[in-house]
Amino acid sequence: MFRFREALISVYVMWYRQVKRFVRARSRLIGSIAQPLFWMLFFGLGFSSALSFQEARSFGLGYMSFLIPGIVMMAVFFTSFTAGISVIWDKEFGFLKEVLVAPASRSLLIFGRALGDSTVAALQGFIVLVVAYFLTPTLLLDGIPIFTLTVFLTALTFTCLGIALASKVRSIEGFHLLTTFIAMPTLFLSGAFFPVETMPEWMKILAFINPLTYSVDAARKILTNIGFFSLPLNLMVLLGSTLIFTFIAAWIFEKTTVE
Amino acid sequence: MDVIEIEGLTKRFGDVLAVDNVSFKVKKGEIFGFLGPNGAGKTTLLNILVTVLKPTSGTARVAGYDVLKYPLKVREKIGVVFQDITLDRELTGRENLWIHGRVYGVNTSRLKKRIDELSRFIELEKWIDVQVKKYSGGMMRRLEIARALIHNPEILFLDEPTLGLDPQTRVHVWDYIKRLRREHGITVFLTTHYMDEAEKLCDRVAIIDHGKIISMGKPEDLTRQIDREIVYVRVDEADGFKVEKMFKALGENGFVEGFRMLEDKTLRFLVDDASKAIPKIFEVLQGFKVRIREVKYSKPTLEDVFLQLTGKSLREYEAGFVEHVRLYHRRR
Repeated sequence: MFRFREALISVYVMWYRQVKRFVRARSRLIGSIAQPLFWMLFFGLGFSSALSFQEARSFGLGYMSFLIPGIVMMAVFFTSFTAGISVIWDKEFGFLKEVLVAPASRSLLIFGRALGDSTVAALQGFIVLVVAYFLTPTLLLDGIPIFTLTVFLTALTFTCLGIALASKVRSIEGFHLLTTFIAMPTLFLSGAFFPVETMPEWMKILAFINPLTYSVDAARKILTNIGFFSLPLNLMVLLGSTLIFTFIAAWIFEKTTVE
Repeated sequence: MDVIEIEGLTKRFGDVLAVDNVSFKVKKGEIFGFLGPNGAGKTTLLNILVTVLKPTSGTARVAGYDVLKYPLKVREKIGVVFQDITLDRELTGRENLWIHGRVYGVNTSRLKKRIDELSRFIELEKWIDVQVKKYSGGMMRRLEIARALIHNPEILFLDEPTLGLDPQTRVHVWDYIKRLRREHGITVFLTTHYMDEAEKLCDRVAIIDHGKIISMGKPEDLTRQIDREIVYVRVDEADGFKVEKMFKALGENGFVEGFRMLEDKTLRFLVDDASKAIPKIFEVLQGFKVRIREVKYSKPTLEDVFLQLTGKSLREYEAGFVEHVRLYHRRR
């Protein structure tokens, strides 16, 4: 028996909670923007003056313009992935545990939560973009609607990946392992800091199976008009990864138990 | 009418039997308590009843529905307060109640009324629009009880409802639970490791140890099983050698059964008649020039029942690491 109204309410309520939390916790907002800002300022400006390397120049881009789409996506990625993983605590010791005994579909509840986390991650991405625009006013802003879509799909993909992984982990050590073994490689292999085309062949293969590569490439295409893949391909891959990970996260959460 | 029916329920985690072939029934409108030390299997059992954990074998029916076959039906009929605080501390009391109510399918106009009603019931009207992180532990507990009641459940499950609360607040929380039953006829199932909570709050108690029910009944019936009185004598003496000799002498004077040294240098005696035993105890102790600091005697409590049945005191179970983390979080 599927009741559409109840389903919508479940999704909406969980979305509402995540967004409300974000609005409340201003310190979290500042923290999440400070990190990408430091990357742009210290790493970006430092690197672009130390070596404006061949690839960046052949693109006709300064390193800053090359880097900024990557940093925006990095911010979205970290926020959403961490939010997804934090479901562990929420489920074992927090609010979500109480939701497990509600007479509502768990898949829909977790989907609502993922949507909420993605909204928050996307918002943070936008704030980073605004800051970045002051540093590099040459960014192209006419593709903002598609950029929004890209950011949102990226956020949803990695929130759901985080949720799926989190349900297999029960300790703080596991949490750190996930950050080290999933988050760091995903970021470095995404082309956020250096182009995919100059990577060694074996590394390229890893980059190609990494959804974040397509997010970064799409963002770069939209904001600087330079990219490795075509924009439709990027969006297709992201849509696919979003569907797959959302489905997996919902499926795993549906049969979750508390121990 | 029985609203909870458990038959041969067993839960195994690997080699560990957390719940071992447990059977019991709870009547409508009863306050039923599961009393046992930490790690006795109370929370595991509660998790099975509230459908977040699957049993290894056996059946459990809650509000007339099998927990394995109809978990959603069961969830509609029950309210749960878990051991850990499961409120969103960033949100206000009202927002917490609102989200819960919506997830449970309570419509907006009814929900608004219900929140007002319940915040009055738990005496938190003035705090209801304040962020939960500014609440005290007792206030959080009360809010959780209110939340569990929003959708008018038939049965309320409480896992260690007063863990980590100060004595005054605990009595306060008990009052709410009693009023719930009195005014709304709600059945309450709770777990506790506080014997006073079981004694003062529950109509019936099941004493559980190592996953097994070792005794069950009304608190007064359970304590009546021990047809004795308890004498506590706190002394100054801590010298092990002297204590041993003292024990020997006490034994020779007929205090063979059930006396032991508790923490804080208190001797505990199980006696037939306290008024006759106390002078005798004094006599023996004086022979050892032991200074007596304090004497009291009481009717047996559930603590004594537990001691009698298991040979251990409820307090002797060390709180594990997780409990310490829990208490720490609660006290913040």
